[in-house]
Amino acid sequence: MAQDWRIVTLFIGSILVLGAIIGGPLVYAIMLSFYSAKSFVGELQWVGLANYAKAIQDPLFWQSFANGLMIALSAIFLQVVLGVGIALVLNRRFFGQSVVRAVSILPYFLPTVVACLIAQWILDPNYGLLKSLLASFGIGIADWSSQAFTARGTIVLVSVWLWTPFVVTCVLAGLQTIPTQLYEAARVDGAGPWRQFWHITLPGLRSVLVVVILLRGIWMFNKFDLIWLLTKGGPLNQTETLPTLAYRKSFLEFNLGGGAAVATISFLILAGVMLIYLRLFPIDDTKQER
Amino acid sequence: MTGNAERSSTVSDTRFPGQGPIRHQPSPQRPEGAAREGQSRKLFKKTAAKIGLYAAVIAICVYSFFPIYWMMISSVRPMERLFLDSSLVFWPPDFASYTSLFQQTNYLVNFMNSVLMAVGTIVVSLVLSAFIAYGATRLRFRGKTTLVASMLFAYMFPPLMLAIPMAAAFRWAGLTDSLWGLLIAHLAISLPLAVWLLWGFFKAMPFDLEEAAMVDGCSQFEAFVKVVLPLSAPGLITVGIFSFLLSWADYVFALILIMSDQQKTLPVALASLLGAHDLRWGEVLAGASLIALPLFVIFIFCYRYFVAGLSAGALKG
Repeated sequence: MAQDWRIVTLFIGSILVLGAIIGGPLVYAIMLSFYSAKSFVGELQWVGLANYAKAIQDPLFWQSFANGLMIALSAIFLQVVLGVGIALVLNRRFFGQSVVRAVSILPYFLPTVVACLIAQWILDPNYGLLKSLLASFGIGIADWSSQAFTARGTIVLVSVWLWTPFVVTCVLAGLQTIPTQLYEAARVDGAGPWRQFWHITLPGLRSVLVVVILLRGIWMFNKFDLIWLLTKGGPLNQTETLPTLAYRKSFLEFNLGGGAAVATISFLILAGVMLIYLRLFPIDDTKQER
Repeated sequence: MTGNAERSSTVSDTRFPGQGPIRHQPSPQRPEGAAREGQSRKLFKKTAAKIGLYAAVIAICVYSFFPIYWMMISSVRPMERLFLDSSLVFWPPDFASYTSLFQQTNYLVNFMNSVLMAVGTIVVSLVLSAFIAYGATRLRFRGKTTLVASMLFAYMFPPLMLAIPMAAAFRWAGLTDSLWGLLIAHLAISLPLAVWLLWGFFKAMPFDLEEAAMVDGCSQFEAFVKVVLPLSAPGLITVGIFSFLLSWADYVFALILIMSDQQKTLPVALASLLGAHDLRWGEVLAGASLIALPLFVIFIFCYRYFVAGLSAGALKG
């Protein structure tokens, strides 16, 4: 069949636009990381790998990496555990099921800014709901943002609240693919709910969970807005991660090359981890149906 | 809440322990009293399971919705009682926080900026992604798989890896502090997703339909516009919604690419409101509720597209 020239032209044109607005910045970011750009207006100066060397010699870089890893791992763990738990409940039959399902995924669609402001309002050490709630039990609270543990905990908490619904939705879809006969057979064999979960439900969800953990991992590791809105990396860099470090270098210290180098390294780390992960847990396309 | 019927009907097939019919009848050897006792214990167990289920359901609802409710209820609390009163319900609502927000900040301007960005992102993403996805499923060329895989890959970039070079390039191109620049950034985050979603949609659509149209004398382009696009309406709606969400919620790019108050979009304007005057919680919560409101309205009317897009991995977060 002859190919319509209008389709071909529009296709190629659109691809060019797409390449320009995504490929262009990507190439430029890598290029910038080899230059010293002291400000946005100054001349670029070729420095080779100096930005990279400086970045990995900086103890703050490794601290940010460790912080980011810790925050991402604990958030993913809680999101998956809670997500599977909520999905198992929502998979049962009960009155008002469809409404409850809708309510349970609502947080996922809230802008990060809104969720962060709600968290700050509830946790406010002077006027927050948590404070007045605890005060009625005679317990006082400190400012969550002043201590490393509570600051990280708040970041994890808000991430869990916002993005667990993604896990819930995927797991609910996954649960429908597990044949009911398996459960019937297990019941006949006398397996209780706990053993059914470990031997049927969890293995049945494997392919879904592999994808969900991968995606959540990528997005949590790249997370910038939530951390910046909640703590700006504080207290004392205790919640600084690679994205916030790249932002700080580029836009507060006006060291564009340094920021681009940090972003590039963090992307390379992520790509490496992704490859290893996919080696360990290959995504089984035949089982995955969309 | 349309589109739920078919979902819940498939759900109900999965029966969980405790929900099935009672199958263990008391054995005939046992004396009458023991049998009745076993029966009542079973009933007790079943009731307990039911109560447990509903308790869990209520807990999930409170956990998911209470923070949102608390934001909204705080935004209509009289401002002088905002810091003193933490009652869960009260009457009448007081909109002083909202009027103060409109009088003292550029909120309406920022709102219009956000709307402009969202509309621009939806329209351009839809047009470009439809051409790309259609070409990728119907045209013959090498590297189709690479093209689609690179969409997924682009979707996983660290946002700063796009934002840093964009800030530098826009400075050079005179697009600093410009909504046009921000539109380009929003397209960069929404296009890969849009192509990915529509590609799945067009791929699943049988080729016969267009062929029939072409036999009737349509060109391929006409067949695309008159047959394929109308039939893909659900896919286009899903793409539109998620392009809207990405643009509406974006904080990173707006923070980096926009400087002046007049050009800010809602998320950045709102975040800077809290920084500027620390105790303006009433206005801040009113502003936050107003960002969330359009989302809720769309959510209620387009619930099934949200779920469809979500399970295709549509929104990064």
